[in-house]
Amino acid sequence: MSHPFRTPVLRSVGTALAVGCAFVAVPAAASAAPVDLATAKPFVVLGGSAVTNTGPSVLNGELGVSPGTALTGFGIATLNGAVHNNDAVAAQAQLDLTNAYGVAAGQPLTVDLSGTDLGGLVLTPGAYRFTSSAQLTGTLTLDAQNDPAAQFVFQIGSALTTASVSRVSLVGAATPCNVYWQVGTSATLDTGTAFQGNLMAAASISLNNAATVQGRLLASSGQISLINNVIDASMCAATPTTPTDTSTTGPPSTGTGTGSGSGSGGAAPTGPGAGGTAVAPRRGTAVWTRTTPRARSGQPACADGFNATLRGRQIKRVVFRLDGRVVRGTTKSPFRLFVRGLPGRHKVTARVTFKDATPARTLSLNYRACASVALRPTYGPSQFTG
Amino acid sequence: MTIAASPGRRRGIVALALALIAGAGVHATPARAAVPAEQALVVLTAPHVARAHPRASARVIQSVPARAPLTRVRTTLPVVGPARGGWVRVMLPGRPNGRTAWIRTYRTLRRSTPWQLRVDLSARRVTAYRDGVVQRRFRAIVGAPGTPTPRGRFFVEEAVRLAATAAGGPYALATSARSTVLQEFEGGPGQIALHGTNHLAGALGTDVSHGCVRLSDAAIRWLAARIGRGVPVTVTR
Repeated sequence: MSHPFRTPVLRSVGTALAVGCAFVAVPAAASAAPVDLATAKPFVVLGGSAVTNTGPSVLNGELGVSPGTALTGFGIATLNGAVHNNDAVAAQAQLDLTNAYGVAAGQPLTVDLSGTDLGGLVLTPGAYRFTSSAQLTGTLTLDAQNDPAAQFVFQIGSALTTASVSRVSLVGAATPCNVYWQVGTSATLDTGTAFQGNLMAAASISLNNAATVQGRLLASSGQISLINNVIDASMCAATPTTPTDTSTTGPPSTGTGTGSGSGSGGAAPTGPGAGGTAVAPRRGTAVWTRTTPRARSGQPACADGFNATLRGRQIKRVVFRLDGRVVRGTTKSPFRLFVRGLPGRHKVTARVTFKDATPARTLSLNYRACASVALRPTYGPSQFTG
Repeated sequence: MTIAASPGRRRGIVALALALIAGAGVHATPARAAVPAEQALVVLTAPHVARAHPRASARVIQSVPARAPLTRVRTTLPVVGPARGGWVRVMLPGRPNGRTAWIRTYRTLRRSTPWQLRVDLSARRVTAYRDGVVQRRFRAIVGAPGTPTPRGRFFVEEAVRLAATAAGGPYALATSARSTVLQEFEGGPGQIALHGTNHLAGALGTDVSHGCVRLSDAAIRWLAARIGRGVPVTVTR
């Protein structure tokens, strides 16, 4: 059974559409050419004219811009990857992005979803087209049907927008590495959106506050704007052509901040199934998130400190270090550390070990308490030379 | 008789002139040491023994208490150079000025500061840097010729809030420097501080102090809100 739609509401969309789906779905899924980002793969954010950031965003992958040169607002962001400011690497990645964009646009069509809101849909692998704009309100579920190599391509004629707290949920061994959003103009992810996949926009990409992306943000010509976001493509890094990551539920953001820590670990063993290979599963992921600095009465907002939380899947144990010293070790979610706003620059690292065969990782987070933290000297005698 | 300069000789003259100009330029603008963006610090959580070399058998320089003498806050020392096998080289307060020694990293906390202070005695000016960039410049009163402000690299030993009736209030940044002339002053060890001008005479921009650096009320308030323990203070001629 490979019905692209499993939502009762959409079964009544129209006879012609339903027939079209049934007719095209199987050959399309079978013959779809894989989209290859090539040298753009290491990039988690790649802008055309500029990349701007506001707040403590976290980027687990490389950051680049080309042909523009503006990378602004990354002072308090956490960059777990190299930065390429209009260098040869970024320029080549832009060329490969153009190729990948063209390949995605040329995928054989599975279903034309023009005028349909993606929210509430359950889609199987294939290529889905919107002749103009696309909207996501609520949850879009992508079911790879236990094929980790299954590919989803969304061909959007103009803009892609999401409503606040929307999400893309991956089930049945689907991986964000194989989800491609080919956007004709610009994409906007509203507040709290938990997005999955490689977002390739011809113009610009804007993320509102606290939106998260498991995948990549790639803009050919325009600007990418971030506001306190988490962008993570680390699960795709080791799997350049045929991703073996199996899947999952739950994107890391919208909940309370603790839900996806180890909670999804129980659901993960459903994965391997049909593949039947002897390769041990590597489903572990880990991503930093941090709260905005907490205010203390009578002091600036940055005076007290902030919570740094590690979210992910299959996490077995986390050991936090502050400036190289172990400050906390925990095996239970939430994997959270309160970091005091000490004056000066500091580095928080988390050594993460996983329940499955995923190699252990060390994630780092640099911070510096703001300069406006006023010191308050204590009283003492005057015994100086004067 | 006219002497025509040959092309080779002309080139020599031009080269000599360029060399003189370049030399004059170098001497006219002496290279200033760049201000580092950050200074590593250690905070002592227990008393330490400072030694001449990074080994337990090395000569003892002095014992370093865990608390500062005036305000009883934790002792904070600037780090000089990289750590070596569980030891770290730090600047020490007191006489002789400008000493460094090795202490164990055990029972210390690593910190850092983006701030630096420079005191220019000839210009009678104090400059505050953050991340190596000038933030503020203040006019100051520096030591008189008979009781000069010692030159060298020091650090803020502790920041002190002074009573309204105390001379030099409202704040003092007590440094690791000690007067080279006054071994004792007002019951203290001749400690050099950057402080205010409460109950003290003298005009900003003069050299009439006993070695301390006096600043306007607004200046010392600005500094006291930002400059904490361990911030390097460099005093130049």
